[in-house]
Amino acid sequence: MFDLFNEILQTMRTNKLRTILTGIAVAWGIFMLIVLLGFAKGVRTAFEDSPMGQTSNVLQLWSGRTSMPFNGLGAGRTIPVRERDMKALRHDIVDNVSAVSGVLEGNTVVMRSDSSSISSTYSGVYPIMQREEQLRVTNGRFINDRDVNDASKVVVLEERNATTLFGSPQRAIGRILDINGLAFKVVGTYEHRWISSVFIPYSCAKAMNGFSDVLGTIRVNVEGMSTQEEAEAIERSIRESIGRSESFHPDDQSAIWIWNRFSNYLSQQTAMSVLNWIMWIIGLLTLITGVVGVSNIMFVSVRERTHEIGIRRAIGARPRYILTQIILEGVVITTLFGYVGILLGTIAGEIMAYAFADVEFIKDPRVDVGLAFQVTALLVVAGAFAGFFPAMRALKIRPVEALRTE
Amino acid sequence: MIHLKDVHKTYPGAVPLHVLKGINLDIERGELVSIMGASGSGKSTLLNILGILDNYDSGEYVLDKRLIRNLGENAAADLRNHLIGFVFQSFNLISYKDAVENVALPLFYQGVSRRKRNAMAIEQLDRMGLREWAHHLPSELSGGQKQRVAIARALITNPAIILADEPTGALDSKTSVEVMKIFRQLNNEGMTTVIVTHDPGVGAQTNRIIRISDGLIIPDSQIVKSQTDMDNKKTDNVSVQHS
Repeated sequence: MFDLFNEILQTMRTNKLRTILTGIAVAWGIFMLIVLLGFAKGVRTAFEDSPMGQTSNVLQLWSGRTSMPFNGLGAGRTIPVRERDMKALRHDIVDNVSAVSGVLEGNTVVMRSDSSSISSTYSGVYPIMQREEQLRVTNGRFINDRDVNDASKVVVLEERNATTLFGSPQRAIGRILDINGLAFKVVGTYEHRWISSVFIPYSCAKAMNGFSDVLGTIRVNVEGMSTQEEAEAIERSIRESIGRSESFHPDDQSAIWIWNRFSNYLSQQTAMSVLNWIMWIIGLLTLITGVVGVSNIMFVSVRERTHEIGIRRAIGARPRYILTQIILEGVVITTLFGYVGILLGTIAGEIMAYAFADVEFIKDPRVDVGLAFQVTALLVVAGAFAGFFPAMRALKIRPVEALRTE
Repeated sequence: MIHLKDVHKTYPGAVPLHVLKGINLDIERGELVSIMGASGSGKSTLLNILGILDNYDSGEYVLDKRLIRNLGENAAADLRNHLIGFVFQSFNLISYKDAVENVALPLFYQGVSRRKRNAMAIEQLDRMGLREWAHHLPSELSGGQKQRVAIARALITNPAIILADEPTGALDSKTSVEVMKIFRQLNNEGMTTVIVTHDPGVGAQTNRIIRISDGLIIPDSQIVKSQTDMDNKKTDNVSVQHS
């Protein structure tokens, strides 16, 4: 085995220029493949980390205006979103819904601590809000069911607000925050990329808003769906259910506004998938060019070495040895220069990551180790192929004729 | 050692070429013979068949008690490796390997370890008087030296026969004499040697000349009248031996 590799290295060294030129073609192919895939991954990761990508299994509803008459009622009516709609949804839609909750926004008020104050709205929420929006609780806890049931005056702050009001998120826990004259106890702080709301229990917000049953928004948490059809079906069921509850036509698209984040998520997924496929195809085509390059060179190499191959066979080389030697040559060249391509591609990935650090739609455009191994395996196969056809060609020539070649 | 009986070979093609028309030939162990013939006489084809580089259509070829008939490429390669030592007119050394590596190559195909085969190669080179040139490339050797390396390579597998195709064809007269001396020396040590040549001077240094013309071996009694002799103009120097 060692001997065989020695033979191959000797051959490669004898034709340095040719080997290098071939290798460059392969390295380039691999390089492009890795850069493109890294790019695609960067776009995908950025999407998945973005607000759009996360919390994708929620449909949100807001108040709207009717555009169609219904049951004697005219068009142009404002349809509020109410607690009874929440109950209707809970009752009507059972499949694929894991939770129905709502958010009640309050007015902008001044919130004071001992040393500082901020001016903000407050959001009355249910506990499920934390999971739905993936709020990362860094100190203490989030609002829980008991808080909502008892209408306990507790508040959960975003870290930066906590720091402004109390000096640090840790020190905020247990302290009192004055919201519009009412004393709320800080029970937790959270961290999130773009949300910075002040969260209090839904029931408290309701009380502060004069016990009206009108909500800011209803959130329907869905699960177990995977197609656009299902996404749209759920949307229709929601409209029907609230249509019954608030008396508007189920086909009225503007009576309530629905943000089907799930549907959006699905289309984005498809787009990502398409992007990925395109990148793979382009990358593979580029790689094929490289492999064709290797095969080409191997054909030339074999032709040049016809005489030598004739000598070897006359001395007693079995066809299989010649075949193995040539194929292995192809594999060694492809793998060696493929690695160079992987190395350069990875470096390029790092450069891309640095260059695109502030660009929102690309994040972490690097290829993972698993992919690098797959590509390597691909290389070995490609190399074997590149060597195979020239080798078969070489063997077809009889030793006698090969010896006559010069 | 070598026994050919009624061997025929035809090259296929638009016009099939019947090159060997029934060769009958016997060469004993330890003989030093030359095969002489003009171009087109079939001597190259005969050489290829003797060297198991080509198959024949009918008849029988027995080499060292082995029947050589319709061999697959693998079997043919193995037999070439073990039984035959080739020496070619144009030396046929591999240009990017040094003398030792060239000589050791047949052993590489036998699977002999690197150290062992290199040692054996040095031994053979020593036998040829080329020990100091062991690590030179063919391009750094003279014609005579290259042929001696080729002979060392031919010997390294301890073959049954040495088959030489115009071994002195590319050498000057002085070097030719040296090379022929080596062949005679090897023959004295017991190596069966077959030299294919058109040079009567070479033929004269062998113990028997086998003449081939038009695809057939010319029986010795017909030698004087053969075309080859008339072409050579050196009829006086040709010694005819009765087998």
